[in-house]
Amino acid sequence: MTVGDQEHKASEIDDVYQTEFVSAFEGDVPAGTRTPSALRHRLRTAGPAIAAFILVLALWEGLTRLFDVKTFVLARPSLILERFILTSDVVWSAGFNTLFEAGIGLVAGTILGVGVAFVTIRWAPVREGLMPFAVAANSVPIIALAPIANGMFSLTSPVSKIAVVTVVVFFPVMINSARGLIEVDEDELELMRSYAAKPREIMWRVRVPHALPYFFSAMKVVAVLSIIAAIIAEYFGGSQDVLGQYILTKASLFVYADAWAGILVASILGVTLYAIVLVAERLIMPWHVSFRASDAT
Amino acid sequence: MSQLVVDAHSVGKVFGKGEGRVEALRDISMQIEAGEFVSLIGPSGCGKSTLLRLVGDLTTPTSGEIEINGKPPRRARLDRDYGIVFQKATLLDWRTVRKNVELPLEIMDVDDRAKIADEMLSLVQLGDFGDHYPWQLSGGMQQRVAIARALTFNPSLLLMDEPFGALDEMTRELMQQEVLRIWHETDTTVVFVTHSIPEAVFLSTRVVVMSPRPGRISDVVETNLPQPRDEDTREAQAYYDKITEVREALRRQEARA
Ligand SMILES: Nc1ncnc2c1ncn2[C@@H]1O[C@H](COP(=O)(O)OP(=O)(O)O)[C@@H](O)[C@H]1O
Ligand SMILES: [Mg+2]
Repeated sequence: MTVGDQEHKASEIDDVYQTEFVSAFEGDVPAGTRTPSALRHRLRTAGPAIAAFILVLALWEGLTRLFDVKTFVLARPSLILERFILTSDVVWSAGFNTLFEAGIGLVAGTILGVGVAFVTIRWAPVREGLMPFAVAANSVPIIALAPIANGMFSLTSPVSKIAVVTVVVFFPVMINSARGLIEVDEDELELMRSYAAKPREIMWRVRVPHALPYFFSAMKVVAVLSIIAAIIAEYFGGSQDVLGQYILTKASLFVYADAWAGILVASILGVTLYAIVLVAERLIMPWHVSFRASDAT
Repeated sequence: MSQLVVDAHSVGKVFGKGEGRVEALRDISMQIEAGEFVSLIGPSGCGKSTLLRLVGDLTTPTSGEIEINGKPPRRARLDRDYGIVFQKATLLDWRTVRKNVELPLEIMDVDDRAKIADEMLSLVQLGDFGDHYPWQLSGGMQQRVAIARALTFNPSLLLMDEPFGALDEMTRELMQQEVLRIWHETDTTVVFVTHSIPEAVFLSTRVVVMSPRPGRISDVVETNLPQPRDEDTREAQAYYDKITEVREALRRQEARA
């Protein structure tokens, strides 16, 4: 290797650092002390979101007070919070029952979705027969099935709700996972072929890691969707001690602040499930592109 | 006479049937001896990649016969006789550079993988980059990782399909130098696809000139330039003469078409 080559290599490396590393921390840290301060950075990027959230709440509170908006039109945040605290026993009891349905449905739908995705890539006829149907099914509002599911299973048992959640979760997870497993770069497959790799090795070393980002983007959607699906299924009847019935009953009795407290619990549950997926995603695929640039902006 | 690594006899390859039928290669005969560095050159679509893929058992001939190290290509592939480098580095995003280089070793169940991988990375001058992820490397560095990966298991035949096609001219010349050095340090036979005449002449012991529709071998140019080749080679008269010879071979087929 010549001296010129060494220099060239060094400049290549510089480029990499300049574009990928340094820019990630620019403006964050004084020049010269390029210490990453991930936490500070995180706070800085979260700042605007938190500020916007507080601003909306303040406006909501202020305007409802200023114009004396009636609670049945729009309850004030302070009143919702008060009812949320005072009724926490009942509303959280309903919340956990709903979380149970959503959680079981989420897990069942995910297992089924991933399982079927694996089948579709092993057997091409299954894929060709199933995928168009699945894509079509995914674009109809499956939630409309809820009243029918109530008829299929016992109305009072949570099974009908779990079934609805499972179906709602199944399609996006299956379609995305299958896509991730199938849409692997042809060159990667040929390399594996040149190593005389077995199908099982191609699956675990190439297809599955490739499918993870697809899988997680579906999971982020269905984590929230599972709570929504469970609540809508609950609107159509069944046990009273669930969020859907709680919100429905309180609204029909004109106790709107209590209904809002139920909605607040639903939101907390949805955000929590979403956060769990985010954490799992970071733990399982820390290499992913979405975690590189995100700290830079 | 040294041992034949590639021995192709009247090989033909036809894609598709009826209307969409494409005759990619016709009557290809080619012998490559151990230790040679052979470039395939020709206009785009003349079947260079197809020929390389036939040699590497990534596709099968529709007529004729190929033997690799005296075996059918499939047997050679199962024996892990091939190291392959494509135009794209094709590194796995989720693996560090070292883990990428270890990939073939994992599949082949070789021990001491990390050690071998680090040796290979040093060979391509990337010893300090084992723990980096592919996205942290420039295009040229990624391609060097791909070369290291292809060499980890000592394949007897290195197949490269326009490996430097996506690199800038400077990086390209450095990579050529590096490939030659590696070729000298290992006992690998190389088949190298390119559409750059200077690249083919600089690297090869022999340049196979191909012509399109259907793909055939129209000329073979022995370069006979002294080894090892370096920056001086690029300024030698013999080098320019060989470039001219290959260029004229390519011109002749245009005139014929
Ligand atoms: N898998 C394939 N199916 C159909 N035609 C193909 C396929 N691969 C290559 N061809 C055709 O064979 C010819 C040679 O292609 P290729 O070997 O890629 O040429 P080169 O690498 O020299 O540019 C082209 O006409 C191309 O369209
Ligand atoms: Mg090609």
